[in-house]
Amino acid sequence: MAAGGTGGKTYSFKVVLLGEGCVGKTSLVLRYCENKFNDKHITTLQASFLTKKLNITGKRVNLAIWDTAGQERFHALGPIYYRDSNGAVLVYDVTDEDSFQKVKNWVKELRKMLGNDICLCIVGNKIDLDKDRHVSVEEAESYAESVGAKHYHTSAKLNKGIEELFLDLCKRMMETAQAEERLKGNGASQSASSRRGVQIVDDEPQATPAGGCCSSG
Amino acid sequence: MSNKKDLGADELSECVQDFYQNLADRLMGHFKGSSESVEQVMDQVEKYIMTRLYKSVFCPETTDDEKKDLATQSRIRALHWVTIQMLCVSMDEEIPEVSENVVKAITDIIEMDSKRVPRDKLRCITHCSKQIFSAIRTTKNEPASADDFLPALIYIVLKANPPRLQSNIQYITRFCNPSRLMSGEDGYYFTNLCCAVAFIEKLDAQSLNLSPEEFERYMSGQASPRCSSSEGDWARADQAPAATNPFLAQLNHNLEVLSGLSSRQESLMEAAHSLQADLLSWPQSVQREVNGILEKYPLEVPSRTVSAIDANNVDNDNLPPPLTPQVFAG
Repeated sequence: MAAGGTGGKTYSFKVVLLGEGCVGKTSLVLRYCENKFNDKHITTLQASFLTKKLNITGKRVNLAIWDTAGQERFHALGPIYYRDSNGAVLVYDVTDEDSFQKVKNWVKELRKMLGNDICLCIVGNKIDLDKDRHVSVEEAESYAESVGAKHYHTSAKLNKGIEELFLDLCKRMMETAQAEERLKGNGASQSASSRRGVQIVDDEPQATPAGGCCSSG
Repeated sequence: MSNKKDLGADELSECVQDFYQNLADRLMGHFKGSSESVEQVMDQVEKYIMTRLYKSVFCPETTDDEKKDLATQSRIRALHWVTIQMLCVSMDEEIPEVSENVVKAITDIIEMDSKRVPRDKLRCITHCSKQIFSAIRTTKNEPASADDFLPALIYIVLKANPPRLQSNIQYITRFCNPSRLMSGEDGYYFTNLCCAVAFIEKLDAQSLNLSPEEFERYMSGQASPRCSSSEGDWARADQAPAATNPFLAQLNHNLEVLSGLSSRQESLMEAAHSLQADLLSWPQSVQREVNGILEKYPLEVPSRTVSAIDANNVDNDNLPPPLTPQVFAG
């Protein structure tokens, strides 16, 4: 009742895109939002902020994808970017072990800062270069599971796995949002400050992250 | 609001944000969930109340915003030596269009301070960002990613040194309608600006790929990366200045112009001195001339006869005798 008009409600989600310099973040989102890859005729001015409108089981979803600067020197700025985001897409290059290591660092940080409110997707990009693979499928998938994230394999070049990745992410974010709404419906009678990054009561931690993000010291 | 002058900035922000939230909720009920109309109304509401409140809530005395402004300003000034190459910015300012974009971006970000409404300030940031995007696009011929955009924005902020940067950021954070700030495109550019400022504050040798010694030398002004990368280059550069370094050539040209200026200045001074001497001698020569003329034609004042009608004894004889009263009989 409190979350009135849920039927016609439009969900707005903010998703941050994290990943090292040349893992193909930009290609990934351009492929998803414009369906283009290394196209000479890309008219888009920029690929750092892109939006996509979706319709999932009759609900409208506005997806805003925030690209972040992946260079090491900007690492400390991460928290400014991913504040208030609903989801994070962490991209690594399957041929580059280092980029996977970076993803692990980000996961630790995100869990520490945002807890379980954020839906994480770990994405191994460039599977078209599978013969040069340096990150094993098993390792990546078991790591993802251990931190409560989902793992995907994509190729921006071949347009593989990208649509599924974002669709899945949206569904998970909707579930999280609905769970929050229910909590709010039970607790406070009026949505006093729903937009101001209100912190919902923590659930039990689903899984102990392998990276030890919960180390209280 | 006027009776809440003693409140801190955070409480003021809380008041305004609560107001936005309550009004938005009510409007949502009124318009039956048409979020577009609600947004339009909210924009106007923000415009009205923030224009009225601007003077009392922008950079309020209860905060240290002003101190931070000054700190950031002098920090940016101290970093004037940072080059586009150190930041790895993918903009080529040699291309006329790009350098035009850069100038416009700088103008836009400086203009932010002159706006009152948070949303208008945000729009300035967005315009600035769009200019940066077209500059990157022209240079690289592909859409700009955040990897390109953030360094470029940092470069623009360093070049522009926008007035009251921290105050403006705080003001937008406190009083902007949150739906804009959190998820919209404007919010993304604003976040990047916050990142740029955070980066500038914490910038050190490592973040520019410099050695700590080099960084110190640049910061203290002992060396400048523009002219030479090390002192050893000075000697070499001296021999063929024009060929080795465009900056040295420029420097030499400037020196020539300056020495030309100084010689002109000197001749001007000479002329002024002679004019002064002339002016001093002029009254003397005039005096001399006057004296000469006076000598030549001595002053002869003809003694004039003073006519004094009433004086005694003067031509009394010529006058007829005064009339005497005559008595007639009768």
